[in-house]
Amino acid sequence: MAQVIVVTSGKGGVGKTTTSAAIATGLALAGKKTVVIDFDVGLRNLDLIMGVERRVVFDIVNVIQGEARLNQALIRDKRVDGLAILPASQTRDKDALTKEGVAEIIEELGKDFDYILCDSPAGIEKGALLALYFADQAIVVTNPEVSSVRDSDRILGVLQSKSKRAEEKRDKVKEHLLVTRYDPNRVERGEMLKLEDVREILAIPLLGVIPENESVLRASNTGMPVILDTESVAGQAYKDAVGRFLGEELPHRFLEPDKKPGLLRRLFGGRAA
Amino acid sequence: MSSQTLPETFRLRAGNFNLLVLRLLDPRPETVLPALGDQFRRAPGFLRFAPIVIGLADLMAAPEEVDFRGLIEGLHALEIVPIGTTGGSPQMRQAATAAGLPPLRAVGGRDSETELPAGSAAPAPADAAPQAAPPPPAAPATPQFQGSGRSALLVSEPVRSGQRIYAEGADLIVTATVNPGAEVIADGHVHVYGALRGRAIAGARNDAEARIFALNFDPELIAIAGFYAVREGLGEAPIGRPTQVRLDGEEMRFGPLG
Repeated sequence: MAQVIVVTSGKGGVGKTTTSAAIATGLALAGKKTVVIDFDVGLRNLDLIMGVERRVVFDIVNVIQGEARLNQALIRDKRVDGLAILPASQTRDKDALTKEGVAEIIEELGKDFDYILCDSPAGIEKGALLALYFADQAIVVTNPEVSSVRDSDRILGVLQSKSKRAEEKRDKVKEHLLVTRYDPNRVERGEMLKLEDVREILAIPLLGVIPENESVLRASNTGMPVILDTESVAGQAYKDAVGRFLGEELPHRFLEPDKKPGLLRRLFGGRAA
Repeated sequence: MSSQTLPETFRLRAGNFNLLVLRLLDPRPETVLPALGDQFRRAPGFLRFAPIVIGLADLMAAPEEVDFRGLIEGLHALEIVPIGTTGGSPQMRQAATAAGLPPLRAVGGRDSETELPAGSAAPAPADAAPQAAPPPPAAPATPQFQGSGRSALLVSEPVRSGQRIYAEGADLIVTATVNPGAEVIADGHVHVYGALRGRAIAGARNDAEARIFALNFDPELIAIAGFYAVREGLGEAPIGRPTQVRLDGEEMRFGPLG
């Protein structure tokens, strides 16, 4: 049975799509057949982050409405074997998604893939609810910042009450916390929440901490999932997270400030980036 | 906490409302709804968009025989807004809750309904606006709490933002944290053996003896028997410490735990 994993956060702009692309690529690199579905109908981005935007012919809405077969809409990644992308539609809205249609797609994908990643849109409305409905596991992406933590908390409550597993009273959705855009220097200056504070409120197992890193933006702009940038700290942190997801025991890295603030920085209030 | 006075934007008060109760005698929406529709057609304007409570006490059916979702949909189509249930077995109430109809408790703990002649004009919704309820009837014949003591609702998962837990007629014990944006309510005491960072409401049915206990007291709002304090008004309170809150007249008193 394929495992369905939703990548969700409640809040927008915290790194869901970056995470979906990185984790999906990492799972495929680890030899797991993986498909990643963009549920953000109307604001599709995953194809850009995965660098396949020029190969999109059909999308998930076409498949649901019977205008294309699933195989026609799936885009096979050229860099990594066993990785596929099901893009969202840019021209429809989220009402074009139906529970029955998504159920059929997930069932059919389950025959060919080990992991089905659902890249959720922000919010707690229809698109987000559908993205999490079929989940067996959830990766909750959170920035070290109060509004993001509160929205993640909210989405955890929704997972417990609105997912198919909750409705059928089966074992609850397995939850993983992924803290992204973590900047140890800013944490030390009290400008960001400490990792412990985030963990204390959300109270779910920590999958990984992705440091704030310019490699993420570079990766997005070049359409290369950041996990393929093995030199970058963010890429390495995502690789660790995938390892932990698959059961490896790995220490958390990149949690300490890189260096003591210099005299100048202390004199000028630590404003220099 | 700065004690800057901002213009007041809301007040939180307990309110009592007169509501119509629709006592179900048949579990099948397809037989109830047409009959109800008929009656409503004979009295135009009768209860348009009025909130209504579904009475389950007279219903002779198993919970799985009742199509609550179908009933809710049908009532909405008739422009009636069901808001909750009253009476019925715990299983029945649970089934209704799952369909989005929480159990309501009549003031005084017993159903005290007045009969409405069939087809008569009911009080217009405007009349059902907040008003002082008649004093609760004398102590109900049946004790609300069976057994020797008050029962309690135990919650061992974190209560998350947006979640609301109500221990009806009981104490509430939370062994995890209550997060910002969450709400825990009990007719009895509220105990939080973690951090209380959301809202806590004890003595929700005007029990001034109810207390709030928290190992790490850091709430957004606390209320006992309708008296409340928001975080800004908690200047004196021992924030972050093990604390109990009780009501002394109209004043909140904060004391250490243990």
